[in-house]
Amino acid sequence: MTKLLLICTVLLPLLGGALLPLARRGSRSLRAAVLAVLILEAGAVTVLLLQPQAELTLFAMTDRLRVSLRLDGVSRLFLAVAAYGFLITGVYAFSYLEPGKGECGFFSFYLLALGALAGMDLAGNLTTMYLFFELATLCSMPMVLYDRTEESIRAAFKYLFYSMAGAFLALCAIFFLSKYCATLDFVPGGSLDPAAVAGHETLLRVLVFLGIVGFGAKAGMYPLHGWLPTAHPVAPAPASAVLSGIIAKAGVLAILRLLYYCVGPAFLAGSWVHYSLLGLALLTVFMGSMMAYREKVFKKRLAYSSVSQISYVLTGLFLLSPAGLTGGLLHVIFHACVKMLLFLCAGSFIHNMGLHRVEELKAVGKAMPKTLWSFTLGALALVGIPPASGFISKWYLAEGALDSGLPVFNWLVPVVLLISALLTAGYLLPITIDGFFPGRDLKAIPARNREGGPLMWAPLLLLAALSLGLGIFSSGLVRALSSLAAGLF
Amino acid sequence: MLILLLILMPMALAPMSWLLGRRSKSLRNGFVVAAGFLELALALWAALRGGSAALPELCVLGFRFELDGFRRIYTLIFAGMWAMTLLFSPDYFAHHRKRNRYYFFQLLTLGATMGVFLAADLYTSFVFFEIMSFTSFAWVIQEETAGAIKAAKTYLAVAVIGGLAALMGLFLLWNSLGTLRISELCAAARAAGRSPTLYVAGGCILLGYGAKAGMFPVHIWLPKAHPVAPAPASALLSGALTKTGVWGILAISCNLFRGDPAWGALILGLGAVTMLLGAVLALFSVDLKRTLACSSMSQIGFILSGVGMICLLGEENALAARGTLLHMVNHSLFKLVLFLCAGAVYRNLHRLDLNEIRGFGRGKPLLMLCFLLGAMGISGVPLLNGYVSKTLLHEAILEGLPHYGWPLKAVEWIFLFSGGLTAAYMTKLFVAIFVEKHPTRQTEFDADKDWLSRPAALALGCSGAVIPILGFTADLSMNALADLGTDFLHGEPLAHAVRYLSLENLKGGAVSLAIGAAVYLLLVRTWMRKDGNYVNRWPGRLDLEELVYRPLLLKLLPGIFGWISAIFGENRLTVPLCRGLRRAARRIALLFGENRLTVPLCRGLRRAARRIALLFGENRLTVPLCRGLRRAARRIALLFGENRLTVPLARGVWKSVEGAAVGFGENRLSEPAARGIFAGAEAVSRAVSNRLEALAPGRRIGLSFGLLALALGLIGALIRLLSLL
Repeated sequence: MTKLLLICTVLLPLLGGALLPLARRGSRSLRAAVLAVLILEAGAVTVLLLQPQAELTLFAMTDRLRVSLRLDGVSRLFLAVAAYGFLITGVYAFSYLEPGKGECGFFSFYLLALGALAGMDLAGNLTTMYLFFELATLCSMPMVLYDRTEESIRAAFKYLFYSMAGAFLALCAIFFLSKYCATLDFVPGGSLDPAAVAGHETLLRVLVFLGIVGFGAKAGMYPLHGWLPTAHPVAPAPASAVLSGIIAKAGVLAILRLLYYCVGPAFLAGSWVHYSLLGLALLTVFMGSMMAYREKVFKKRLAYSSVSQISYVLTGLFLLSPAGLTGGLLHVIFHACVKMLLFLCAGSFIHNMGLHRVEELKAVGKAMPKTLWSFTLGALALVGIPPASGFISKWYLAEGALDSGLPVFNWLVPVVLLISALLTAGYLLPITIDGFFPGRDLKAIPARNREGGPLMWAPLLLLAALSLGLGIFSSGLVRALSSLAAGLF
Repeated sequence: MLILLLILMPMALAPMSWLLGRRSKSLRNGFVVAAGFLELALALWAALRGGSAALPELCVLGFRFELDGFRRIYTLIFAGMWAMTLLFSPDYFAHHRKRNRYYFFQLLTLGATMGVFLAADLYTSFVFFEIMSFTSFAWVIQEETAGAIKAAKTYLAVAVIGGLAALMGLFLLWNSLGTLRISELCAAARAAGRSPTLYVAGGCILLGYGAKAGMFPVHIWLPKAHPVAPAPASALLSGALTKTGVWGILAISCNLFRGDPAWGALILGLGAVTMLLGAVLALFSVDLKRTLACSSMSQIGFILSGVGMICLLGEENALAARGTLLHMVNHSLFKLVLFLCAGAVYRNLHRLDLNEIRGFGRGKPLLMLCFLLGAMGISGVPLLNGYVSKTLLHEAILEGLPHYGWPLKAVEWIFLFSGGLTAAYMTKLFVAIFVEKHPTRQTEFDADKDWLSRPAALALGCSGAVIPILGFTADLSMNALADLGTDFLHGEPLAHAVRYLSLENLKGGAVSLAIGAAVYLLLVRTWMRKDGNYVNRWPGRLDLEELVYRPLLLKLLPGIFGWISAIFGENRLTVPLCRGLRRAARRIALLFGENRLTVPLCRGLRRAARRIALLFGENRLTVPLCRGLRRAARRIALLFGENRLTVPLARGVWKSVEGAAVGFGENRLSEPAARGIFAGAEAVSRAVSNRLEALAPGRRIGLSFGLLALALGLIGALIRLLSLL
């Protein structure tokens, strides 16, 4: 039963996406079909969340290279984020995308990307994960292309190039890991074969470093972060929302699996790889926030913000301590929720009012109070104002860093996190302030309701409630993730 | 449960008031006033019951609340202040826009402020502190004027920076001590020992909470935000929200750094600067609410110096603790009534400049009495409550004098001088509003009988009445308050009762008031007046915010770090560099691919190869050569085959062989010879047979056998002979 469900979860969106272009029967039925697939997928994932651990080999290419699915804690976490996130964003996309303007292509790649992500989340070994990782890149790239402008095509290819280049770096690491690991299957705590590794530690460390930097391209980690600020602003808002909130997390998942399920934290702890990765992540955190602070195009600002925030997660992963990992995993959920919210708000501003730049957003609160309120709650959560959700993850990240006992990094991590939080406040809160309080001298924006239909603002309110509520009622989540994190050391 | 209700009920009522306000404004006004008094009733009930509560499942670490003596006093004060301001508000806001928003955030902030004070651990307090910062932001920006927006942004920036600093402090404390429970901090800190980490943590928390309290050098928001906020909100900002900052400072000073002289000296120093700076600024200002705001800052300085003395005096901190506590309480009450008076003025005139509101208070006894009580109280006039708390603080400083020498003496003089300035600026305000006459509008002011509605007047009167009640019954009421509250401050029990009206104590008050009178007469009446008008001596250019913080935080740091980040991102340097690299790579790739060099080269090579191949194939040289060779070979072959030489030769040989064969065959020589031999043999055999026939048969047989035997013998002998060879 569970095994059948595992296959279904992966195949349903893939088949749905592949078959969608065949059913040319008007916009309404197309949307109904997409919605049905998304709801079915979310339902399947909900059932999977309650299932015990399961494993299933689909077929074997050779006896070491097998394509297998596996349900464990990490896959539950990422699968839930992906399925629910795609559902909410999908509902929003129905009112965002004009009927009949290439929506069929968009939605079919949307579903394909979800299927690829589901496959990646459920992958049972490195081979399978790599396979779906590439598939996710390929399937999400056309979403950036939606506008068919020259800029969007260039951005899409930049995305493709960065992701592929990163993936090839990672592939190098995978080749070598298949030699040094006892198995390519995911084993909590890593499966390095000490006998095989003996004498090749330096080589392996270099390769693991390259692999993580490679997968880091997807997560927007310095130095391969360049695609994010290019691709996100040109993609339609729902695409940027899932790209930033969910698909970029595929990089996080890949690094998590590589680091904790293949190599094992013990092998890297205290080595130069450990410190350089932490350094890169912190640099990205700071640099992303700073660039976002200086950026005036709203969606580009959010993209830089993603660069920074996803590296919060990576910092948590690279701390190699249970508390840090817990904070990182928490931030996966919270950031997904908040960043989808913020991108969808940006989408609403663009779609309903045609506002792209930050300074144009003055007084927008008069016309779109619900949207701006949702944005504000999301912004507070992202800054990490208690009791909103970002605060909880930041607490664990800082605790993990201070507990880790690493030289310099134990205090540098919280300091950088807080400075970045300050910058986050600096680039998000003025939008709220100017939006709600433009001052009296500004000529009034039409004060009538420009929110769009309920399908447009309801997802925003839902996400805003989640980004606040997940923080307040996070105890259960934290317990689950802490025990998950503790099992990896 | 009751405690949770104190916090959550206003927060739950806030959206209800908002929804109600969309239907009916008057209903909403009634609702919020009722909410305020309901909270007051709850606070009274809770203050009688005490106890503690917890929400362990929320926000991971859980929330813990406690209602001890100090918190009982302050829940009551807060609930009372909110009830009074809410009662005052409908009248004040009668012609304002966006009231719904104001009331919504008013109630939210009430819940959050309760949460800050009732918290039993720093974590809980911090969470509510942040909520409070953000909800009270809406107060400051309520009027939406340019000044309000700027002040609100400053307020928010300070709140966010302070909040993050405090959070860093909490991280460090939680990590090094493992607890944030206020009651456990002291023991944990002593167990862990004094480490730099602890001081860094304390400094961070001090920065965060000090910002809210208006402590120097993070006071910058206070003189800007208080004047622009609506008066009821200013009263709360000044009287209540600054106290949450003081609460945080108290929580760490009296627990984490209990009896730590270094920490005490730091707080005392900051307190002294704040006290003096606030008082000087208040004196210079000609704006009613700004004067009051700066006065708040100065009074917070008084309170902080008391906190510093608590730490400095260690075991003998009874006076300091009682003075600090009472001055907090008193200041809340003074600022409530003073800002409500300012609100009454602003409600009618929509002006705050002293030159324009001059004489407004004439002929309005309630307003005058309330303002006078507040002003006298805060100036430390004997018989009112401000005198009691200031005396206690002064006593505490005097108590420390033998231990700490001249620095403390300096602080004492700053203390007395600031007290004097307090009296001076309060006199300035009082004289301007209630004694002087407006040059043009005085008759209009005097005719204004409808200057405050009844509920608002009730709020004002109640707020004013508390001051003399506490003052006149100081030995009873104020001592009781002090006894109730000092546990939180870890004040030691009082060794002997303080006689507030003793000559010694009256002298201190008198010195202060004398300084005040001198300053007023010598400075305010002369230097600060010109042609009968008050001159604005506000040192606008010496604004710490404009001079230091804004350039530093908005220009310098983002500039520097932005530049540094840009180095790592796409910029004028890296983009061309990347392009250059890509071009170079392409060149290099082309170098190894098809290009102007390689293509001809390859062609040349191919041609050369073909030439070489041709060289070894059929060409003008090899073809004739081969032909020649073939011919030669054929010749050679012919040489050994049939040719003009061999054929005749072979024929000749053949013929000769034939001839020879003929020579041995039947020829002219051999034939006759053979015939002859044959004939001879025939003749011999005939002769033999003839002879044999002549013989008898027996003999013939015998002879035949004999001959045969002879022949056989001859043959045998011949064989024998041959074998011998």
